[in-house]
Amino acid sequence: MTSTLARLASGAPSRCFALAGAGAGDVGPWLRLDPSVAIVDSPRAADVLLVLGRLEGEMLHAAAAVHDAIPPPRGVVVWSPDGWSSRRWPFVDAVTVRDASEIAPACRRLRDDLFRRRLASSPDALPDLDPAPWRGVGPFGQGGAGMTGGVPYGRPLAGRADDRDGLRLDQILVRVGPFLPPFPPGLLLDVRLQGDVIQEATIPAPIADDAGASGREGPSGAPVPHGHPARLAVAADSPFTTALTRPVPIAELELARARHHLAWLAEALRVSGLEAYGLRALKLAFGLDLESAESIDALDRWLRRNVSLRWGTNRVGVVTRAQAEGLPGGPVARASGDDRDARSLDPAYQRLGFEPVVRGGGDALARWRLRVAEARQSVQLAKRSRTSESTPSGVIEDPRGPLSDDVPPSAGLVALLPALLVGMEWGDAVTTVVSLDIGVIDPAVREVTSEGTGP
Amino acid sequence: MSALGVIVAVVSVAAAAAFGAYIAAWVDIVLARAVAGVPVRPLDALIAPVSWGAAVALKARTTTERPDGETWALAPALLAALAAVGLAAAPLAPGLLAADVASGIVLFGAAMALVVVAVFLQGWSPNSPLPMIGGYRFIAEGLSYEIPLAVVLIAAALPARSLAIAPIVVSQENLWNVIRQPLGLPLYLMAALGLAFWGPLALPEGVDLAGGSSLEISGVSRILWRVAQLMVLVAVSAMGAAVFLGGWLGPLLPGAAWMIAKTLVLLVLLIGARHLVARVPTERYVIASWAILIPLSLLDVFIAGIQALVAAR
Repeated sequence: MTSTLARLASGAPSRCFALAGAGAGDVGPWLRLDPSVAIVDSPRAADVLLVLGRLEGEMLHAAAAVHDAIPPPRGVVVWSPDGWSSRRWPFVDAVTVRDASEIAPACRRLRDDLFRRRLASSPDALPDLDPAPWRGVGPFGQGGAGMTGGVPYGRPLAGRADDRDGLRLDQILVRVGPFLPPFPPGLLLDVRLQGDVIQEATIPAPIADDAGASGREGPSGAPVPHGHPARLAVAADSPFTTALTRPVPIAELELARARHHLAWLAEALRVSGLEAYGLRALKLAFGLDLESAESIDALDRWLRRNVSLRWGTNRVGVVTRAQAEGLPGGPVARASGDDRDARSLDPAYQRLGFEPVVRGGGDALARWRLRVAEARQSVQLAKRSRTSESTPSGVIEDPRGPLSDDVPPSAGLVALLPALLVGMEWGDAVTTVVSLDIGVIDPAVREVTSEGTGP
Repeated sequence: MSALGVIVAVVSVAAAAAFGAYIAAWVDIVLARAVAGVPVRPLDALIAPVSWGAAVALKARTTTERPDGETWALAPALLAALAAVGLAAAPLAPGLLAADVASGIVLFGAAMALVVVAVFLQGWSPNSPLPMIGGYRFIAEGLSYEIPLAVVLIAAALPARSLAIAPIVVSQENLWNVIRQPLGLPLYLMAALGLAFWGPLALPEGVDLAGGSSLEISGVSRILWRVAQLMVLVAVSAMGAAVFLGGWLGPLLPGAAWMIAKTLVLLVLLIGARHLVARVPTERYVIASWAILIPLSLLDVFIAGIQALVAAR
């Protein structure tokens, strides 16, 4: 029976729960185009835990918890282009691949071997223990601080508070992240929920870890001290990182920018429930060339005509002009009417007649439209630029915002989250976070927040 | 009905529901590929649901920290049973009806109203926050689709002066309800999306909740839940075909063929909505329902009432 099922199952894509770490780049989105792999939203629906790039510190511990949530038989595939490994690595039998083109075949082989029982399921990485010791007095957590104030297994019981309609309803405190799929990998949020509504959102203080002592390098090759914000969201092999110190062809930079925006659009469409149309955007992103402006126009027209998309993003997650001016710049600020764009200061871009794309409104809809318009503009700039190269000046306009040795491209966005999310329904909160395009976050980002960086 | 008749009816409905769910899964795959702009390959897509089912069946059923195991196990069975009851009320051809009761439309409405219980149990039982939010959502939006659904079904029954489904089909011999009551079918389909927590109204299972009420299920439970959801889609499509599109009525072909074809048309429309219409935020849907859909459904029943009065003179 099992062998018959395994034979039948071999026709299905290998279902992977992907954990993106530092350096994952756009491998995750690119994998979605491979029909032999299905990236799923819940570890419960996965066969394989797929680790892309580096995970360190508390991210590793969270990865182990995700691993244990995958039902057996399960396996682990790690994409590690530089052969990186950690002494705290929790998976003893992971399959490691260096070439991105090997990821999908490795996942498929591993899944088939597991189903045909040629390989044993990956054992639990963590002990199966209660998350915290029992601290209540009675059998249902009562006792402690008052008759219903116990904290069974370290979790506070649901409390009651007034809701927005004047009713007294239960509130629950939930920690989300660091690997909740619609959220940027690494983002941890403590939210107090009343039904579907966020009553309070905080970014928890970092847990001490030894990640900062790992000797990693910043974008310019300089060692990055523990807690330095440049540890965040910077892919070492990105052309934008290279352009900080060396001239890079503008065509290469702009096509990479358009690709990034379209891959972001694909993810945003997926989160909005339009996964199939998102794949169309993703195909366009990874097949992008100098003649793609018309295809982007067609995509833009479809997006504009889709009333349901407008309904779900209009007036959602508004970043005010004042908040935008507190950011270092970037698409989020430009969607709120702030026209700062590091390319405006580059003589090579000035010769091309570059004008920043700016939108008003500052909501998720404005950010969607701005990124699609920027993708189109980037293809046109790439086409016009011929052999022009960027001028290194220590600051480059990354697709997420200005990047320098001191400032990561999405600096300040995480600090905006608590104020933006309070009062929102969960669905709108996710739409907002996705529309900000924060990127991969190391745990150090919360230090940035606690230090008050950002508006 | 004899005991043998009951057994035959139950087996027939179960087989029809399961086959309908398989067809629905196939249509979903074909439409997804078409919208994504990748080669459709309809014959390959026929095996895809089987491969998926085999892959999921090979996985262990996991559990969570202190779930309510009984209600968690009950949820997919309840959903499947409710879908089967709904489908049993839809006639395939004259006299070919598993649940031939005088108030078939009430039976269907009652079964569909209880879907909310199954989805809430699925979300609440695993003792996990995101599934529970999914369950909450379904409760919150429940009335917003149940009221329009019930009202447009009542409107469709008015011309027949009967709550049984067969007379409602027969009453459409001269003019289908989709034309006689133009508001009815669009409102019914919108409510059906909510009822089947599908596409733009897949709110309890949205990507924003990483799967929501079904986030924690694996193995056979996952298969049962997905099949039961598709069975609900088939049931609402079949009832929509009977009540608004004239059921088995049609020239040349046998009545059953017409009924199946019309059910398929509605199934394709509902499944297509998943790939072309974005998820609707819960609060905005609820507001739109109470401000627009419910008043429109009341207008629909008002128009149907006037038509019935005029016809009676």
